Amino acid sequence: MAGNVVRPGSLADKFQRLKRIVDQSGGWKGFLLRAARIDEVKEGKLVGVDKFGNKYYENPMYFLGRNRWVEYSERYGYDYDGSQIPAEWYGWMHYKTDRLPSEDPTRPKYKWIKDHEENPSGTEKAYVPYSTTRPKIEAWKPPKA
Amino acid sequence: MLRVPLHKALSLPNLRQLSPALRGISSTPVQLEKIEVFVDDKPVLVEPGTTVLQAAAMVGVEIPRFCYHERLAVAGNCRMCLVEVEKSPKPVAACAMPVMKGWRIKTNSDMTKKAREGVMEFLLVNHPLDCPICDQGGECDLQDQSMAFGSDRSRFTDIQFDGKRAVEDKDVGPLIKTVMTRCIHCTRCIRFASEVAGVDDLGTTGRGSDMQIGTYVEKFFLSELSGNVIDLCPVGALTSKPYAFTARPWETRKTESVDVMDALGSNIVVATRTGEVLRILPRLNEDVNEEWLSDKSRFACDGLKRQRLVAPMLKNENGELTAVEWEDALIGVAKALLRAGGQSAAVAGGLADAEALIALKDLLNKLGSEALCTEHTFPQDGSGTDLRSSYLLNNKIAGVEDADLILLIGTNPRYEAPLLNARIRKTWIHKECDVALLGPKVDLSYDYEHLGDDTTTLKKLASGQHPFNKKLSSAKKPMIILGGQQFGRQDAAAILAAVQQLSQSLSSSNSDKEWKILNVLQQVASQVAALDIGYKPGVSAIREDPPKVLFLLGADEGTITRADLPKDCFVVYLGHHGDQGASMADAILPGATYTEKQGTYVSTEGRTQQTLAAVTPPGMARVDWKIIRALSEVLGESLPYDDLNGVRQRLTEVAPHLTRYGSAENANYFAQAVELSKTVKAQLASTPLDVKLKELQDFFMTDAISRASPTMAKCVQAVLKQKTSKY
Repeated sequence: MAGNVVRPGSLADKFQRLKRIVDQSGGWKGFLLRAARIDEVKEGKLVGVDKFGNKYYENPMYFLGRNRWVEYSERYGYDYDGSQIPAEWYGWMHYKTDRLPSEDPTRPKYKWIKDHEENPSGTEKAYVPYSTTRPKIEAWKPPKA
Repeated sequence: MLRVPLHKALSLPNLRQLSPALRGISSTPVQLEKIEVFVDDKPVLVEPGTTVLQAAAMVGVEIPRFCYHERLAVAGNCRMCLVEVEKSPKPVAACAMPVMKGWRIKTNSDMTKKAREGVMEFLLVNHPLDCPICDQGGECDLQDQSMAFGSDRSRFTDIQFDGKRAVEDKDVGPLIKTVMTRCIHCTRCIRFASEVAGVDDLGTTGRGSDMQIGTYVEKFFLSELSGNVIDLCPVGALTSKPYAFTARPWETRKTESVDVMDALGSNIVVATRTGEVLRILPRLNEDVNEEWLSDKSRFACDGLKRQRLVAPMLKNENGELTAVEWEDALIGVAKALLRAGGQSAAVAGGLADAEALIALKDLLNKLGSEALCTEHTFPQDGSGTDLRSSYLLNNKIAGVEDADLILLIGTNPRYEAPLLNARIRKTWIHKECDVALLGPKVDLSYDYEHLGDDTTTLKKLASGQHPFNKKLSSAKKPMIILGGQQFGRQDAAAILAAVQQLSQSLSSSNSDKEWKILNVLQQVASQVAALDIGYKPGVSAIREDPPKVLFLLGADEGTITRADLPKDCFVVYLGHHGDQGASMADAILPGATYTEKQGTYVSTEGRTQQTLAAVTPPGMARVDWKIIRALSEVLGESLPYDDLNGVRQRLTEVAPHLTRYGSAENANYFAQAVELSKTVKAQLASTPLDVKLKELQDFFMTDAISRASPTMAKCVQAVLKQKTSKY
């Protein structure tokens, strides 16, 4: 028994965890891609996938605050950000609830609910406030030809 | 109240011939002995007839006053200038009391202070305490003087709450806002209207606490100089309507500048805040505008914010002007210029500054074109524009005051140059000066002898056969003012020649060789500088030889239209307002107005003055000469100056007087101009002399800036409304 038990934190434990992470990432290539894309490689349990393809993981081994994470969908490439997490997963990600969206019967489901939209800041759809004061200079409008 | 000398008011014949004793003091040549008085124990020698207030001013003691004003008749009704005179039982009103020999005036004694405090208390009893919402706040004489000379405590209690005296406000037009409760009855506005403006509309009704200033009946106070009563009003009774509740005087940045709405070059102060011109006020210049300003110069400044060109524009494939970047616009214009080779031309409008004029001329000359014209014409026959004396107001504006006979030919100075007209009126009232007018009968605000509007009269005058010639030759200092508008006529050369010959014949018989007789009143601010630089007057050269590229440097009067140009002509408009010129352009280069650039202007009297930049040009607009400089770089024909000093160096090379700011260079060679004018073959046409600006409604909107101004539009409406009124 003692021979099989790896002491947590030992070198052997670390190597075993590395192997699990590499396996979970789909081999060394996936491991490196993941490291490059999200700067962090962790092992964890895949608890759900939202309709955009974002994958949600949990591993209580890590400290609270680092034990739930999201791996953004491939479609975002390197352009991922927090606003791409839809509302139903927001609560779970922020520890407002421990229930997964699929396990939550109180979650309203109507067909008129709009799809989640990410924050458009920095894009053409970004909201730009306009001035309600009259411009100081009124420009001349050329006559239509 | 009779504000005019008796013989003028009753239109009696000139009293000069009747009795020398009746002549005004000003023309008395006898030098009277000076008398000595003491102001606060400081001795001062003054002429007899000097008032106490003037004597005190000579030693630098300023006596507080409300009703007294240097340029208006003495009223003596506010009593603020009361001072103690030794051995006099009562304090005397300094503004009206002439000094006597040996008087000891005490401007700081207990009696004087008590008198001032008393007067101030009475004024404030019926003055509302609305300083926080009053537009005069910060520049109010009553506010300042109550702080300096008033009592330090109030006895005003009003325990019955029966309120102060209240007076109904009057509607006197779109320019002047009235809050008549604030009025302290100094009557400055009344005196200004009847003496300077020559409009006897304002007056007083009632007595005591029922006294009111007003127009007697419900009518507007409409005059081309009406805005000056705002400056004159020592309290907030008359304030500027367009400027109401806009800013406090301490918030604004003041820039000393020069006006370009007429050819006089009135000195102005441009008040700005947060990059916006808020108002324009006159600046003292005894040689030009004294301390007055015409309404167009003062109130058209809101036109600087409307109809502006804020981005360079090029015509797209649909033939519509669309905004582009500077680079594209300059390249587009440069391509057209290169295609045209030397076949380019330019028309300079009335608001162009000398820097832009010289830069554009240098550029087109480099490209091999000489066709640079001004919108306003001038006959090219005879001496043409070679002799400066033929297109200047040679006697200068201040010279009007020395004249004893003024002959106006084909001009209405009241609306073409209101402040020149104010000078003529001042001379007419205070000196022995007669005025005659050859041209359409108009209201000049003073009496004149009308010689008709026929050109045959001019012919007769030139040959010395007209009865008026007798008067002209007997005058010591006659002055002939020829309106610049007449140069637009077909027979302009003949008119100028006739006037030159008449002036020369008078001047050869005149004993004063320094006195000039011929004066030309130009219509626009840029004309003299353009002619000095060497622009051709009039656009006939362009009509005869249509160019492939036409530059319009702020030319908005429509002297050249699309119909005058070949179809493929590329029109470039360089200016600040979208008006006639911009609407016919293929490319627009947005320039700066006179409040946005440091520009040189030469007034009709030949005085060089400069405007200073009060605000930055809006949007992508730039200073005009810099645009031309940049264009030259794109063309590969760089102009040899990079900064303002460089351009002015170039101006100095062309004509040194163009950079001698503030001074008016004298012109000469009158006799030679007359000799050359004898070669003129043109004959006087039979069409009568006419002027464009006949009545007040014609005055307000005459250029791109004033046409864009909503206030000026309101003024025109007000005049037309007044016409339908039964008063």
